[in-house]
Amino acid sequence: MVSEPIIVVRAVEVTLGGNPVLQGVDLEVARGEIVAMTGPNGAGKSTLLRCLAGLRTADAGEITVLGGPPRDVPAFWRDVALTGDELAWYPGLTVREHLELMAAVHSTPRMDVEEVLDAFGLEQRADAAPFALSTGQRQRLVLAMTLLRPSRVLLLDEPERGLDAEFRERLAAILADYAAGGGTVVMATHDPGLAGAARGRRVALADGRARSAV
Amino acid sequence: MSPVAEVRALVRSRGRRPRSWIDLYSTGLGLAVVAAMLSQPASTLLAAITRQADPARMGAGIALVVLAYAGFLAVARMMGPVTLSSADATWLLLSPLDRRAVLRRPAGVLLAVSVVIGAALGVGLLAVLGTPDHTAVRLAAGMVLGIAAATGGMALAVLAQALRTWDAWAGPVIVTTVALAAAVALLGSGPARRFLAAAASAPPTLGAALAGVSAVLAALLVRRAWTALDRIPARTLLTASTGAGRAVGAAVTMDPEALAWSAEDEHWRGRVLRSRRWPALPAPMALAWQDWRRLGRRPGRLAVLLMTAALPALAAQTGGGSLEAPAAVAARTGGGSPPGTAATTALAEAGGLAGLMLTMGIMLVGGLAAAAAGTWGARRDGDDPALARLLGVGPRRALAARALLPGLLGAVWLVLVLGGLTVTGALPAGPWWLLGVTAAPALAAGALRTARRRPADHTMPVIDTPMGAIPTGLVAWAMTGVDLAALGCLPLAAALFFQPVALGGFLAGQAVLGAAVLSAYLAGAGRAPRALP
Repeated sequence: MVSEPIIVVRAVEVTLGGNPVLQGVDLEVARGEIVAMTGPNGAGKSTLLRCLAGLRTADAGEITVLGGPPRDVPAFWRDVALTGDELAWYPGLTVREHLELMAAVHSTPRMDVEEVLDAFGLEQRADAAPFALSTGQRQRLVLAMTLLRPSRVLLLDEPERGLDAEFRERLAAILADYAAGGGTVVMATHDPGLAGAARGRRVALADGRARSAV
Repeated sequence: MSPVAEVRALVRSRGRRPRSWIDLYSTGLGLAVVAAMLSQPASTLLAAITRQADPARMGAGIALVVLAYAGFLAVARMMGPVTLSSADATWLLLSPLDRRAVLRRPAGVLLAVSVVIGAALGVGLLAVLGTPDHTAVRLAAGMVLGIAAATGGMALAVLAQALRTWDAWAGPVIVTTVALAAAVALLGSGPARRFLAAAASAPPTLGAALAGVSAVLAALLVRRAWTALDRIPARTLLTASTGAGRAVGAAVTMDPEALAWSAEDEHWRGRVLRSRRWPALPAPMALAWQDWRRLGRRPGRLAVLLMTAALPALAAQTGGGSLEAPAAVAARTGGGSPPGTAATTALAEAGGLAGLMLTMGIMLVGGLAAAAAGTWGARRDGDDPALARLLGVGPRRALAARALLPGLLGAVWLVLVLGGLTVTGALPAGPWWLLGVTAAPALAAGALRTARRRPADHTMPVIDTPMGAIPTGLVAWAMTGVDLAALGCLPLAAALFFQPVALGGFLAGQAVLGAAVLSAYLAGAGRAPRALP
């Protein structure tokens, strides 16, 4: 069932401020697979995600995403979508207009705007400015924008942040659907339930190393 | 001791050591140094106002003073005006303590600020009107009038913060003040010139009486505001205090961008918007459309922006009505005259050059500010590129599309300015406005460079100069963007300096240099992506 590897991480090491965060991490993620990285605060989950996104260079080791090293260039971002901290919203645009903007700059969006508003429970706030939303609603909008656009790889840093339990289940189904369509998901999460509901493979990061978890 | 005073005394006793005589000495010495520094400019100013004013400049001058007053009212209303420190807002505001006692200190600060600004406005007004006789009486009356206007205006802002009925009046008062300034500017050089001249030469007792009546009215307003202090809702005070806290933070870290973002986000947080369909455009233009839509939703800001295009013409009127090229001034004042008039010629040349340089400076900064009003998308993506990465549009193509709006805004503003200067006779007849059109690409490049600049680097050295210490990091930050716009507008500046009969060569030069500057900037921006956080 496992097809060609989309992401390959070999013996990656990262030291931050003299503190070794990742020490020889190995990871391989296949096309259509969901990998949920778990571990305590400071285990290196977000650091590894930033390495996969090309936003941080590993001190040692090798990283390949979609057949090449990750690079912060538009061509890379056309295939890879990353969500981390809250986005800096454009002033003066509503929720719907942010989504329409995302659909307008990508020639083949995965869903139409109405569908996304419905899937992420944002229909009632479609005319609101993102600044006027609650923390959880803004997180839904971040995820909605990420999943509206076409991509081959999703890198999600704590996607469950601020979300209620009911929507986490819905998010798990959305991610499973994305993977079933051939997309690859790597997420850092503190919610084992989300990983389980999305039928993802859990990888525990501890002491700078990655271990497969049950 | 009141409960609030007790709380403040307790906080002080834990946080500070007792005041020693060295503290008192330092405070006294500081005040003496400030007084010594201010005495020289104050005496120069006093000497300058002891003269008969020029009626031709009076209208524009009064308009500028009234405009400054309107700005003071607008800032007071925008800032709160009553605010608390974050500690007081957190611990004292939401407590059983008497609200008016908690607000006594900020209210006192507002009163002091109003008195200082009012005195400055009064002296400014007198500098425009002149003091042909009874200088002391006229000066006192002018200052009392200015202080009464400022304290009354501040009291009005406080009342607007406390009571909904007053709040409804505050906005129209500011708009009326701006309209008054515009009317004085327009009529002051024409039909109303005689009236202004009569007002300037009115008996000093009349001015004193006017100042007295104004002071009584202001005192009534201040008293009313004082009684209304305890009716300011805590929610309003918390919001204002948060904004003031951000302003202080931005001032301390010398990062005005943070303040601009805070104000922008706050503006949209409270607005009810109606989504409109995104137009079907190529990807870079679809991305750039965000700035067009944002600007369309702030028509008031756009109107103010366009109104400021009248400022250079006003400044030129205040300075004598024309922007003569230095060569022309020399020819007019020194041509065919005996050598003894060389000093007069030099003075006239210096005055003309100063006026010209001032107008050119206003045009550069104003044009850049107008263009910058259309660069919020680039600024947002520069500060935090996460959304830009999700959108996936290449930086060069995105910037090229985003250059259209700032170019248009800068061009419209400069066209209005140059048209105004030509119509009012400050510039000789000719198609000067075309220079505004051809300067658009340079202004767009400068505005985009300003929008994408990094925060000021305060680790850069501070250079001591005879004019004082210059923090190079802050200067470099402030000049980022201005440098490109200034470079790209050199033919425009040269045309203003030499004021040739035929503008063709300067127009061609401006078109070529503007386009070259924008092209080079876009090429550089595409080649060197911003560093990532």
